[in-house]
Amino acid sequence: MIELQDITKVYRTGSQSLEALRGISVKIGKGEFISIMGPSGSGKSTLMNIIGCLDTPTAGEYVLDSDKVAGLTFDQLAAVRNRKIGFVFQNFNLLPYATAWENIELPMLFDGKNGRRRRERVTELLNAVGLYEWRGHRPSELSGGQQQRIALARALANDPPILLADEPTGNLDSKSGEEIMAILTDLWREGRTIVMVTHNDHIAAHSERTIRLFDGQVVA
Amino acid sequence: MTLPRFFWSEYRKRRKRAALITFALFWGTLSILLLMAFGQGMTTQFQVSFSGLGQTLIMVYGGQTSLPFEGLPKGRPISLYPEDVDYLKDRVPEILRIAPESYNFLQVSANGKEINRTVHGTTAEFGLMRTQVPRMGGRFLNAADVAQGRKVAFIGWKVAADLFGSADPVGKPIVINRIPFTVIGVLQKKIQDSMYNGPDAEQVYLPFHAYQQIDNRRRINQIHIQPREASQSKIVEARVRTLLGRKYRFVPDDRYATSFWNTIEDAKQGQAIFKGIEIFLGLIGALTLLIGAVGVTNLMYAVAKERTKEIGVKLAIGARRRVIIQQFFLETVFVFAKGTFWGFITAFNVVHIIRLAPINYDSFGIEAYLLRPEFSLQIFVAYTAILGVLCFLSGIFPALRASRANPIESLRYE
Repeated sequence: MIELQDITKVYRTGSQSLEALRGISVKIGKGEFISIMGPSGSGKSTLMNIIGCLDTPTAGEYVLDSDKVAGLTFDQLAAVRNRKIGFVFQNFNLLPYATAWENIELPMLFDGKNGRRRRERVTELLNAVGLYEWRGHRPSELSGGQQQRIALARALANDPPILLADEPTGNLDSKSGEEIMAILTDLWREGRTIVMVTHNDHIAAHSERTIRLFDGQVVA
Repeated sequence: MTLPRFFWSEYRKRRKRAALITFALFWGTLSILLLMAFGQGMTTQFQVSFSGLGQTLIMVYGGQTSLPFEGLPKGRPISLYPEDVDYLKDRVPEILRIAPESYNFLQVSANGKEINRTVHGTTAEFGLMRTQVPRMGGRFLNAADVAQGRKVAFIGWKVAADLFGSADPVGKPIVINRIPFTVIGVLQKKIQDSMYNGPDAEQVYLPFHAYQQIDNRRRINQIHIQPREASQSKIVEARVRTLLGRKYRFVPDDRYATSFWNTIEDAKQGQAIFKGIEIFLGLIGALTLLIGAVGVTNLMYAVAKERTKEIGVKLAIGARRRVIIQQFFLETVFVFAKGTFWGFITAFNVVHIIRLAPINYDSFGIEAYLLRPEFSLQIFVAYTAILGVLCFLSGIFPALRASRANPIESLRYE
């Protein structure tokens, strides 16, 4: 499902170049729950960005659902992110001026889904994360846990097979963090592939398998 | 909710920032529309004032030869005579109307009042060529008046006011050089900026033969000619010159043997000048609007920067470039629409109110040049085109920049 072959990512700033990933090869099967761990600067986020089609590797091959990602245009990558991948960020990244409802609806708007389908899906998702009553509120009026639940609902809007979570509990208290992890675990049990970056061994324990990175390479 | 509605709900939350820019656009629109309306008004007024003298009119006067011709010396006076009218009409098919005119400064009295005015003898066609529109209840000289030498008179509105005050002179007697005439019409007020012998408001017109009984000179002062088409004015002028040269024996090219006042050529020059003024005023207006447009571009660049993170989020959840461009573009269009709408309404009302100001016809209607701005389809087409170009240019660059954002860098932006 997700297949990374000898992936290298080099960042160039002026005359200096930084090798963030050095020949990483990873296979993630459909329905797996994977944690990516490693110290700061080990390349976790870079790897996530490449898996999430937000960034492209300098060298190596990335095959997602038997499609080579390298040949896709900007808008084709956008379509992949829109339909196949749901993102959950450490700092939620909700649109500040949009309501909870609008935030969840947006990926479907970008996908061109019709109004009735959008309404039904947003209602369903809001109920699933238990925030239907909060649908008209802006992110600033919600607690961190609530914001992350809205962000999760948004990630699921187009029912993507893959969820990428970058330190999803990093900005939450332990109780909210546990709630989010419970939801992620449920989603995994429903058959979704989940890739999660974390620092926290306790959080990583929810996953089936952990990929450890050090200095841009897989160590375990 | 649809995408445009989503854009709108995002826009609404920051519309206060657009207030100053909206004002700049309002001001720009107001300037460009008013300046163009005044330019157009001046052009129209020039045409109206010019047609106060006459429409597509060529006037021919006698003169003095400046070149010898077939043994005849130079310096011979050339005069025009009443029979020249038929002579020319029969030989120049491009002539639509033609009329003789003689005049003299004479004593005119009525109602116990006595004044001196220029009195003219002419024919019915003169009225059509020289825009002699009668006031309600009266008429200009007609063919029968001329043929029968009727003792009737058509007078200017100032003559009427001088002799009869506010009373209606039509049907009343008027004495010219001790011969009684009946007033058959009074000239309606008109704007006139070109004239000989003063404005038509101060003139008295008599049927040609009746006039000859007062002033027994055989020769006439001038001949008025209207070609069938304005474009034929040069041809008609050349033919008339040649024919008169043959008849009175002078070189047709002799500029001093006869003289022509070709109002058609004058009007062309005048129109070109006023068109130039119009374009100049329009350009000033366009520059004012440009300042507003630069403001919008600036605002949109600032908005693009400010929204970097949001753009990153949108890209991450699957927005295509097109969506980002659309949003920026629609916001630009909206800011433009708002400012220009009010500018448009204000300009329309200002023009409407200015047009209510009265015009003093006694000073040749000079105020009309400033007090009769007007809108035309041409103005709206020009304005819409300028607006469209400015709006497109001020929207496209910020929109493109925003859409080219790198999703990861945008997400990291704080």
